[in-house]
This record gives sequence, structure tokens and C-alpha cells, in this order.
Amino acid sequence: MEYLIYRRKKTLNKVLVVAGVSFLAYWAAISCKVDLSIFWQGIPKGIEFIGFMFPPDWEALLEMIYPAIETVLLAFMSTIVGAILSFFFALAAASNVSPPWLRNFSRFLLATERSLPEIIILLLLISALGLGPFPGVIAMSIGCIGMLGRLFGDAMEEINPATLESIASVGARRWQVIRYGIIPQVLPSLIANTIFRFEVNIRLSVLLGAVGAGGIGYQLFYSFQVLEYQRATTAILVILILVFTSERLSKLLIKKIAPEAKLK
Amino acid sequence: MIDVRNITKETREGVQILKGISFKVEKGEFVGILGPSGAGKSLTMRCLNGLTKPTTGEVVFTDNQNNAINITSCRGKELRLARQKIGVIFQGFNLVKRLSAIDNVMIGQLGNMNLFRSLFYGFTDREAMQALKVLEKVKVAHLAHRPVGSLSGGEMQRVAIARAMYQQPSIMLADEPIANLDPNNARKIMQLLKPLADEMPIVGVFHQPEIIQEFCTRIIAIKDGNIVRDGDNKITRSEMRDIYGAELSEIELNRTEHSAVSYQLSALGD
Repeated sequence: MEYLIYRRKKTLNKVLVVAGVSFLAYWAAISCKVDLSIFWQGIPKGIEFIGFMFPPDWEALLEMIYPAIETVLLAFMSTIVGAILSFFFALAAASNVSPPWLRNFSRFLLATERSLPEIIILLLLISALGLGPFPGVIAMSIGCIGMLGRLFGDAMEEINPATLESIASVGARRWQVIRYGIIPQVLPSLIANTIFRFEVNIRLSVLLGAVGAGGIGYQLFYSFQVLEYQRATTAILVILILVFTSERLSKLLIKKIAPEAKLK
Repeated sequence: MIDVRNITKETREGVQILKGISFKVEKGEFVGILGPSGAGKSLTMRCLNGLTKPTTGEVVFTDNQNNAINITSCRGKELRLARQKIGVIFQGFNLVKRLSAIDNVMIGQLGNMNLFRSLFYGFTDREAMQALKVLEKVKVAHLAHRPVGSLSGGEMQRVAIARAMYQQPSIMLADEPIANLDPNNARKIMQLLKPLADEMPIVGVFHQPEIIQEFCTRIIAIKDGNIVRDGDNKITRSEMRDIYGAELSEIELNRTEHSAVSYQLSALGD
């Protein structure tokens, strides 16, 4: 008897879950104005549009090179600044370096930053600093801290506290313990994660470029705005090459410089 | 000279772990501390170099210039400078695994080094040559540039001893320095430590009764936070039984295992 009641309850649960999800999906469809007829009509339009985009405007390729370099430099600058800031946040966020209150506070800041998309930081900064690459650098540097700060901090926490204590036991100062006890132990992980973040930042700086940080992203955005679709295709191709090479290069570099590092 | 004056230690919950430990060690002495696990041996060692502050009592040692230094009342810079004069060797070696052996040795002088230079420049050639000499003394100079993580336990402990010697300490402390080593290596490490006693007092925690009798000049036994024996290096079986109680059989079992292993090793010509 009890078993039968249990079975009824289980069935009821299943029905409720299916009904709930169906209702949410229906609501979402209405709110998103899902209309399959628009989709079917859109396909030939899209194909026509792709026709506008080809052939790529090869003459614009030269004009794209400098913006592409700008994008890479933007990513590079933000990664360096971000990684350095992350290191100090990580020290504050490591339980074997910092007192619990500081660790918790720092971890809280890092988590807050992680839940804040870079694009929001950039929009806030643009309203304060105006358009241009500099707000982009700041936005992405801050964007690094949430991820790298936590990863660096986790790497530091893996260090045996006894090792740090033994360096302190020869009379070393706190910063000397960090310099000789912590940095050598976490360096591979630091380098590997920084290179990985550089790759992320290249993609991000393309995106942020479109929103006002300049570089190749802005070229793409601008080409669409002035309806030069073939030029836009060139920009897309350059971006594809950029992202693809940076991905390959970062993998290669990580393998070469820090083969034993753990990537998270 | 190192003078331990009636130190006690209570946990935050009020449990007394050390109940009044007093002893004096002079230059030329190699003191071995025995005792069952949890008796307070390691805690005593931590009080000796100021890693832990005793609840009451004090630890005073005289340095090479004959200044009396009270490690218990030292703070901040004073404490750092005092620690610089105390060499410590740990059971787990506690070296920086990714640094080379010679870098680990040079860490021993960080307390005397200019902060800015140590952070941004590193060690000088002169320091490196001195460190190499110390590594030669403990017979691992050929491993100077290998990362410590790739060395064996015995080699790591030699590097740790080299680091402590490089500090040019006034006293030497060793917390179970041979517990992780096979008897052959353990004996070699003890042979390195013993001559140091001519220059400074040595206090070590050991579990191997036969090794302690062979190398130490005096044996102190700690049980339940008290010193229950303080005397020469001849310890009888009945004394051992009193000190270790039920744990004794375990130690003896280890010893027979150890001697079996060392017999095999010597047969292999290691």
C-alpha cells in the first residue's frame, strides 16, 4: 500500500515537471515572438545577403592590418596589467598567506568581478573616460582579475604551509617568503593561465573593439554600419585568422614553457 | 648554550600539552629527545625557535658573539634576526621543490639580506660559491643545480642540512630529521650532524633508540608534557618501556624491519 502511494507520488512529480517546463517554453516562445514563417522567409534573404558579402574586399586588407595589431596590443596590455593585479589579489586570496578575513574579502571581490561581464565594465568606463582603447584596456584588465586572481590564489593554496614556515624559520621577511617560497612554486601555473587568458582577451578585445575600444572589431562594426559588406567579410577573415593563430600559439607556448602546469 | 626555562603550553581549550619543560644544552652536546607520539616533542622544538610561543616560561640562547637572546620575548625584526641564528632541519625536509638545491641553501641567509636586493636581484656569485662549499661538505655539490623536487629523500635532507649550516647558526634544531629515511641514509645524516656539535649545541627529536645511543651525547625523554628522563646516552630497555608503553613494540618492529632493509641494502653494496 505504502509502495503504491510512493509510485503515485513519483508519477505526479514527473507530470508536474513536464507541465512546468512546457509552460515555461510556451511563455518564452511568445515573449521571443517565435514565428517559424519568418525563419523560412529569412533563409533566402540570408543567402542573398551572403552574396553581397562576397567576394571579400581584398583592397581593404592592408587597412585591416594595423587595427588587427591594435587589437593584439590591446589584449597584450590588458593581460599584463591584469596578471600583475591578479597576483596581488591572489596573495590576499590565499589562505596560507593571508588571514581569514582578508582571504574571504578578496575571494568575495573576485567572485563579484567574475559575475560582471567585461562589456558592462566597458560601458561604465566609456561613460567616464570616453571612447577609445584605454577604457578597453582597463575593462579587460579588471576582467582578468576575477579569473586569474582565483586561479593564482588556488595555485598558491596548494603550496605546503610547512615549506613557507621553514623559510620563515631562517628569519626571512614575509615578502621574501613570497618571493622564494611561493613564486617559484606557482610560476608555471601563473604563466600558463596568463597565456590562456591572453587568448581569451584577444577574442574579447575584438568584441570590445566593436563597442568602442577600436581595433579590428571596430573595423567590422563600422563596415556593417556603412553597408560595405565585402569590407566586413575581409574584417571577419582577419579576425578568424587572428583568433585561430592565437589559440594555436597559446597552446604551443603553454606546452613549451610550462608543460606541467594545470590549466583550469 | 640554549636554556629552556620551565615552558608550558596550553591549547585554546585549556588543555595543557607542555607541563613545564626545563633543560640546558651546552656547546659540544648533541641532545636526543625521545618520547611517544603526542608527548609534546615537536611542540617543544617549535618553542625553541619561536615558531610557537609558550604560554609561560622562556627560551634563551647565547649566540656566537655571546649575546643572550630571549626568543620567547622577541618580536618582529628581533625575532627574525634571532631565527637567523637558529638552524632548523625538519622531518619533511620542507625545501622549495622547484628551486635548485643551491638556491634552497642560499635561502638560509635571507634574514641577513637586503630586502630590495633579495626581491629584485637575487643571490650574488659570492653567496653562490659559499653555498657550493657547504653543499660540498654534505657531499651533494654535484646536485647543486638540480631542482630539489627531483632529489631523493636522503639527498633532500642533506640539502636541508646544508641550508641550516649556511645560516652559520648558533644552535641547531632537528625535528625528526631521519624519520623519513632508510637506516642507511639515516646513519649518514647523523654522521653529518654529529661533528656540528663541536661548534654549537644540537637538539634533535628521534625515534630510533639505537641511533640515538650511537650518536647523541645525552638523552631526554618527554612523556605527557613532562621530562621523565634526562641523562647520558645509555638508555635501558626497561626505561624505554616506561617511556613508550604500548608504542614500544611498534618501534621495535620498525627497527627489525629497518635492519632487515639495511642488511639487504648493504648486501647490494649501496
